[in-house]
Amino acid sequence: MKKRNVSVLLAALLVLTAAAIAGSGRTNSEIPAPPAIGATIEEFSLPDVNGQDRTLKSIKGKNGTVLIFIAVQCPVSNAYNERMEKLATDYKSKGIAVVGINANGTEDAAAVKAHAAEKGLSFTILKDPGNKIADKLGATRTPEVYFLDGSNKLLYHGRIDNSQNPSAIESNDLKDALDSALAGKPIEKTEAKAFGCSIKRA
Amino acid sequence: MRLSRIILPVGLSVLLVSFAASAQRRKSRVASSTKPAPVKPVVKPINTDDLKALISKQKDKPLLLNFWATWCDPCRDEFPDLVKIDGEFRPQSLDFVTVSLDEMTELTTGVPKFLVQMKATMPTFLLNVTDPEPAINAVDPKWQGDLPATFLYNEKGEVVFKHFGRVDTAELRTAIEKAVKKS
Repeated sequence: MKKRNVSVLLAALLVLTAAAIAGSGRTNSEIPAPPAIGATIEEFSLPDVNGQDRTLKSIKGKNGTVLIFIAVQCPVSNAYNERMEKLATDYKSKGIAVVGINANGTEDAAAVKAHAAEKGLSFTILKDPGNKIADKLGATRTPEVYFLDGSNKLLYHGRIDNSQNPSAIESNDLKDALDSALAGKPIEKTEAKAFGCSIKRA
Repeated sequence: MRLSRIILPVGLSVLLVSFAASAQRRKSRVASSTKPAPVKPVVKPINTDDLKALISKQKDKPLLLNFWATWCDPCRDEFPDLVKIDGEFRPQSLDFVTVSLDEMTELTTGVPKFLVQMKATMPTFLLNVTDPEPAINAVDPKWQGDLPATFLYNEKGEVVFKHFGRVDTAELRTAIEKAVKKS
């Protein structure tokens, strides 16, 4: 009798746990809208892939910061690995820092670190457990970019370019925004969209 | 003599019935052996204008529109549920169209292959554009392009349900039931 009670209890627990897991992931339909262009992004702190807390202040570039939501397993994000790395290298000397943020609840810091090493991503990558910053920025997909000026004012939001296929690039939206900002010119296109993988929220 | 009068017709009847049954079995065997092989789904390319036309055309029944890609895990995960929904609600006057965001190179390879695996028969298009932004905005200016994305239009062409990310099947079913009842 006792054995039967324990089995029933275990089964109930299993059902409850499965229900909790199934219901825990928020969908992108419930995410607040991204901040408006021109809004100042508040200071934040996130752990890097080694678990060390990093503030925006400590990683930002003198002339601006490019925050890119990236992923380990998303083929679209992975299609941009080389382009993101080149961007980080090319603009470092111009005072713009590229920072990756992984907000996928399905990819832990160790996986993010191993992926960065494998793909040759040398820029700082932060983990966003609980999607604190992804929620604040209204980020929904990977890759998704937020370009802030030296005072953390949002200047550009959206895609890196128009195609995950490098041979089909016709519109270098992020690069154009960076170059305009560095030249002190207004950014012509401040938002641009592309398809990407949805962020797997915790 | 009397006995033979009874036995003969009964025996003949049994023979006739068994002959008919055997012929029927042969017929069904022939029918099953000539059953056509499953048709490879035809995936058609679609541009932004045609996508706009698809959404805005005069409808006489609700339209379910799902955007997906073979490289998108949650898209693949939700697809079997969508196939079930198609089978269940198409006879109840639901139009269901899917739009793949795969590369054009997958038009005759990866996309139809996936549809065969899923036993999916709903019309499927592949978005053939160099810049995806006009297509995303034509569907919904608030959509950032994250996949999967699902939209349900009523017969008047109004969006009555939309979802970004893996869809909640129960929520979608409720919305479809409501939409097909009204149409």
